[in-house]
Formats: sequence, C-alpha cells, structure tokens
Amino acid sequence: MFSFIARRAGAAVGTLFLSSVLVFLAVQALPGDVATQVLGKDATPDAVSALREKLKLDQPAWERYIDWIGGALHGDFGLSLVSGKAVGGEVGLYLGNSALIALVTVLFAVTGSIVLGILAGLYRDRWPDHLISTVSLIGMSVPEFVVATVLVLCFSVALPWFPAVVLYGPEASVGQLMPAVWLPALALAVVMAAYIVRMARTSVIDVMASEYVTTARLKGLSTWRVVTRHALPSALLPTLHVIALNVAWLAGGVAVVENVFNYPGIGKLMLASVQNRDLPVIQAIALISAVVYVVCNLAADLGAMALNPKLRTRGRTR
Amino acid sequence: MPDIHHPGRRSVLAAATAGAASLGASWLLTGCTGASAAPALPMDAKGGSPDRGGTLRIARPPASDAETLDPASALSAYEYLGALYNRLVRVGANGDLVPDLAESWEPDAKARTWTFRIRAGVTFHDGRKLTSADAAYTLRHILAKETASPQAAVLAPLIDTKKLRTPDAHTLVVPLKTPNAEFPSLLTHYNCYVIPDGSARGIGRTGVGTGPFKLESFTPAGPGRITAYKDHWAGRPVLDAIDFYSVADMSARSNALLAGQVDLLSQTNLDFATARVVAASDRATIARVENAQWYVLPMLTTEKPFTDVRVRQAMKLAYDPEHVVKVALQGAGTAGWDNPVPPSDPAHITAHPKHDPEQARHLLKKAGHEGLTVDLYTSSYDPVFTPMALAYQDSAKRAGIRIRVKTASADSYYTQIWMKKPLMATYWYTGRPVDQLFTQVFRSGSSYNETAWSDKGFDALLDRARQETDDERRRELYGEAQTFVVEKGGAMTPMFADRLVGISRKVRGYAEHGFEFDYLGIGLKGA
Repeated sequence: MFSFIARRAGAAVGTLFLSSVLVFLAVQALPGDVATQVLGKDATPDAVSALREKLKLDQPAWERYIDWIGGALHGDFGLSLVSGKAVGGEVGLYLGNSALIALVTVLFAVTGSIVLGILAGLYRDRWPDHLISTVSLIGMSVPEFVVATVLVLCFSVALPWFPAVVLYGPEASVGQLMPAVWLPALALAVVMAAYIVRMARTSVIDVMASEYVTTARLKGLSTWRVVTRHALPSALLPTLHVIALNVAWLAGGVAVVENVFNYPGIGKLMLASVQNRDLPVIQAIALISAVVYVVCNLAADLGAMALNPKLRTRGRTR
Repeated sequence: MPDIHHPGRRSVLAAATAGAASLGASWLLTGCTGASAAPALPMDAKGGSPDRGGTLRIARPPASDAETLDPASALSAYEYLGALYNRLVRVGANGDLVPDLAESWEPDAKARTWTFRIRAGVTFHDGRKLTSADAAYTLRHILAKETASPQAAVLAPLIDTKKLRTPDAHTLVVPLKTPNAEFPSLLTHYNCYVIPDGSARGIGRTGVGTGPFKLESFTPAGPGRITAYKDHWAGRPVLDAIDFYSVADMSARSNALLAGQVDLLSQTNLDFATARVVAASDRATIARVENAQWYVLPMLTTEKPFTDVRVRQAMKLAYDPEHVVKVALQGAGTAGWDNPVPPSDPAHITAHPKHDPEQARHLLKKAGHEGLTVDLYTSSYDPVFTPMALAYQDSAKRAGIRIRVKTASADSYYTQIWMKKPLMATYWYTGRPVDQLFTQVFRSGSSYNETAWSDKGFDALLDRARQETDDERRRELYGEAQTFVVEKGGAMTPMFADRLVGISRKVRGYAEHGFEFDYLGIGLKGA
C-alpha cells in the first residue's frame, strides 16, 4: 500500500516537473514581444532593450527557467511586470475568491448530481431517468457562458434576486462576495453536474447488475439497504475521477464564467494577465493550476483506494 | 496600445460572448415583456432636469494595473481626468474652441507668441489658488522626458519650455519656435489637464485638480469614487458623487446596467444586438453620441500595391460609403467619403469624388493591377470592424477588386496588425481639432501616422495653414488639406458612426462629444 502511494506521489512530482517546463515554453511562445507590450508602442528602442535586460530576457531560456522554478519552489513567483506587486500575494487573493465559488459549486453540484445520478440509475429507462438524463445532456451541451447569461437574465434582470456582476475588486470580503457567488456557482454546477450525473448513473446500473448485489437481494435485504450498503460505495468509485477532474477544471478554468459575472477570481486575473503579457503572473497561475490538477487526481486515486479493497492490496499480490 | 483608439482593453471573450449573450437576452426579454424582437433605437436620451444630489454609478473597462491619474501620461481613466481637472481651453459642442481655465487667449501678429489670460478665483481641491505658474508647470511637465507623455511629440517641436513666461499671476506667455495660429487647439488634448505647480511626483495618485469633482479613492483597473467639489469655479455639480467600477467584459457591463447595478457604461460602444436589448429594457436605454467614432481602413503607403497612388485612388473610388453605412452601421452614422475631418467640424468640406467603379477599374489597369486581390485584416476588438470589412468587400467587387477578409486575434491586434499589415480596419474617437488631427495622423513621421504616408507638399500645406493668422484663409487651407488627403492619402474613411451609450432611464442631462463630458449638468431623476 505504501509503495502504491509512493509510486503515485512520484508520478505526481514528475507530472508537475513536465508541466512546469511546458508552461514555461508555452509562455515564451506567446505572440508579441514582452518588453514592447509592457512599454507600449511609443517606447524607444533603448527603453525596450533596457527592459529586456532587466527582465533577463537576454539570457538563455534554460537559465531563466532555473531561476523561475527555483523561486517558485520557495513560493517566490517574482514581481508582476504591470503592477510591480509580488505575484504570489496577488494570485493568492484571486485564488481565494475563486475557491469560494468552487466550494459552493462542489457542495451543491457534487451532492446534487450524485443523488440525481443514482436516482436515474435506479429508475433506469423509466421517466425519472429520461428526465434527468435529458436535462443533464442539455446542461452538458450548452456552453457555460450561455448558461450564465440566461441565469443573469432570469435572476438578476427579470427577477432582481442576485447581483448580475460583482462591482468589488479582488480585496472584497467574503461577506461582500457572498450574494454574488450563487449565480456563477449555479452556472458552473449545471455544466459540471451533467458529467457526474451520467457517470453516477452508469456506475449504479453496472453495480446493480452485478452478482454481489443479486446475492444481497437474495439474502432478503431491503432495496434501500442494498443500495446504501453495497451498491453505492462501488458506484461512487468511477465517479470519483470525474469529480476530481471537474474540481480541477473549476479551480483552473472558470475564466469564462468569471468574466460574465465580473467576478474577481483567478480566471479573470489570468485573462487580464494574458492581455497584458504579464508573464510572471501567467506562469504562476498555470503552475498552480497544474498543481491543483495533479493533487485532485492524486486525491481521487487515494480515495478510490480507500473505497476499493482490491486496489489496496494490489501492491502486495503482484 | 494606441491611446486614442478605443481606450478599453476589451476582453478576448467579449466578442465571443456578446453575440450569444444578446441572442439569449433578446429572446428572454421578448419572452418576458412581449416586446417586439427588434425595437428601433431611440435617437436621444430622455430630456428634463435632474434632481439635485445623488450618486451616479459608472461601469468602465479596466485598463491595466499600471493606470495613473497623471493626465500628462495617462492612457486611460478619461472619466476621472475629465471630472478632476480642467484644461486651459476645451472644444465646444460645435467644434470651436471655448474657454476653460483660460478666459481668453491671443497671438501676436505672426502667431509666434501666445498670451493666455488665466481665470481668477479658481482653487485646486487642496485649497490652493490657481495661478499662471501652475499652467506653465503643467506644460513643462508634459514636455519633460521622464513623463513620457504621448502629447510631448506634438508640442515639443513647438514650445521651448525655457522661454515660457509668467509676467503676472494670471498671464501665461508661450513663445513658439515656429508660428502656429492653431496652437491653442493642441492644448485641448486630454493629456493637457492643468495640475498644481510641483505636483508631478504624487499627481498620479492624488488627482488634485480644479475640476468639478475631487478624488476620494482610486484603484488602478479597479473601483473608485469622486465627490462634488463645492468650491468649483463654475458652480457645484448636480451630483453629490460618482462611483466608478471596472467591468472587463462588455456583456457583463451591459448586464450590470440591465440589472440596475450601474447607471452608465463609459468607453463602450454597444453593438447593435446588445443596444436593442438595452433599449427594450424598463431600466435602461440608449443615448447616442453623433458621429463619435471615426472608422478607417488604412492602406500602408510603404507596402505594395499601395505605394502606387493610382491603386489607392482606385481602392477609394471602388466602394460606396453609403452602402457601408447602411450595412455595417444599420444607418446609425454618416458616410465619410474618405475625408477624415468629421462633418461636425467647422473646417469640414463636402466636396469629394463620387463612387465610380468604372474609373477604379481603369486606374487599376493603368497601374498594372487589374483584378487586384488583397487581404483586409479585422478583429473582434470592435463590433463594427468585421461588418465594415465585409461591406467594403461586397462594394468593391464591382470594380473587380477581390478582398479577402482575415480575422486576427483581438488582444494583440494593436501590436501585431495595426501599422504592420498593408490593409486593416481601425477607428479613432472624433473630436480632435483639425490641426491636431492632421498633425498626428497624416503628417510625415508622426508616431500615429498609420498609413506611413509622407508627402512634402502636404506637410508644407499644413505649415502654411498653421502660420496663417487670417481665420477665413486658414479654413480654406485646411479645406485644401482635406482634398489632398482624399486624393493622395492612404486612409480610406468609409464612415463616422454614432456611439451607442447604455444609460439608465434615471439619468438626465447626459451630454458628451469627442473627449468632452458634461460632469456639471449630469444627474439623476427619482433615484
């Protein structure tokens, strides 16, 4: 079991190293010279070359990579090229705001969609299944900005229950952000729920058709007991990975929804930084997103192991 | 990022989402209110007088974390600048110069030395009295190298800062290096707001000026607040305060207006679909700023085939600007006929060659470019770019010109495409005086000369015009300059478009032209 954890952790570190290299290379490949983008088009050639020197753009790429990754390991992501503030603190601020949405989304979307998925699986091919499957399919197919816009028009414009956009900056308190969290979370939940619903449904159907559920039923256990004690843990297993991937997507890729709601989160910061070619910020966000992805996947694997005795012992039987 | 173009860095997503958003919006509003699918856009905002007091909430596009309130070097934050500061002279609604902090100004006989009488009884927000020393300091600050003011390139060849004189507290004497009868018009630029003597170091954060509002808070690319300055020399403004909010996405900005979270969208020219949705709403409506946007298809005169003046002429004769106005603006604008001087400018001349595809064909044949094929670059940076390009493409077909419309990425459009590709779409705000317009955009070697056009004859004509002290004669010379640009220049000006501004139905007294905004008169009714 420990060797399994060690192996998975090793793979995670390897993945992170590879993604840090890819992030670095990708950012280097952004069109537009950094120095000219920062100084504006009226900059004199002298100023541009001075800035290039200051940003160490004249050094070879591998040296700059070592510099950057060395700092990142100590939590030092450098200074923003645009605001001049420390990147770590700024990114942390926005990341915290995004985490608020992510938390609400996960609480509602994950619990809600697991329940719906199980219901659909249990009522396979009957009307609750048809209804849930159709609605989740629609949710999956509609892009999140459409969902978000429709939500705004319904619940901010037509019925003024929630704010349409966030007018506060990144320093807003949780209390200030709270009223504005529900619509973005709902929009993300709709898009995310579809995957989880479908995965949970399929797993429940598979498990309910398995031999041990048949055995449990033959033993005379009530359907409720069969479902909660025997079917659910096994059905949740494959769903875990889907949830993990979705949570990672939440943390890293909510740029679209955050822009519709003007929510001061990491997605919005990322977009602004790409537009300003604020390289240290872009690199930090990309690296943090990679960490979130890897950690979520690792957690899903370990969670799966906890739920599945077979996986737990695999290290030994081999 | 050119400062005088659309100042907002619209998000990459804006254009992608705006279309779908407005589709959704119009569908929903139609469903909810039963309004017709395409209501006509109102011509004007509601009249009537506002109630005294209240706070106006404005959503603006964030520029960058490097934003500053130092007017000399500011490339954004226009809303703050106009409210916090005054200039010596400003542009009136009819395009003429009107007094601001200077009560009057006059040249000597040769227009080589200008004397400005500075208004008495004006105080800065910190209580200090305005004197001519502040005006002189402002000019020196603009011209100082470390300020890096975009306006320095225009003023530096004219003013020798060492020779500025302030014979008394309310007189400023500006000796010029070369005679210029249009000099005061150059001071209407938004980089020329007057700041207190010696304030250069802190002005970017303090925002101390003589304007109708004083600064309470300011966050670069974030929220801010200004409050009425009760001792303003022209009387106190109607409003008590203005709150500014930064909203990057255009559809998010209009959603905020529709939901009643803000009262006005600044620096936002709404696309037609969104404008219809806004106009159909109970809370918001559309105000127009007539001919506020000057749309251009610049041809780089240093790139083939546009090095040949016959090709440029053919490109202009080939298309019908009336058609472009009809298609791209749905009629909300005026045909430009390749004359960059807007119809509202007193110097504007109406003479122009007619649309003539046959003549265009003939010219192309003579230049050896029969059946010309060129790429025309656009982007989603502005909602009108692509419709304009397609309308041009359609119209030019009759002259046998094949246009391939190419869409480039919006976020690097002004660094990768503008002034680099031989033919592309762009626009400017109108409202700059005619001499400033020609000097900045058409004179040889100017940094904003987007067609890289260089014509000694034209430059000489400009020099003659700005030295001419007889107003009537000078106006004629600027007329000749327009003809020059229409016949030989590299810029096609298909049209001037109305800017469609989203405002709350509670807003009264909204008035805007060029870079001028009436902060004194604007207010709210029943807020």
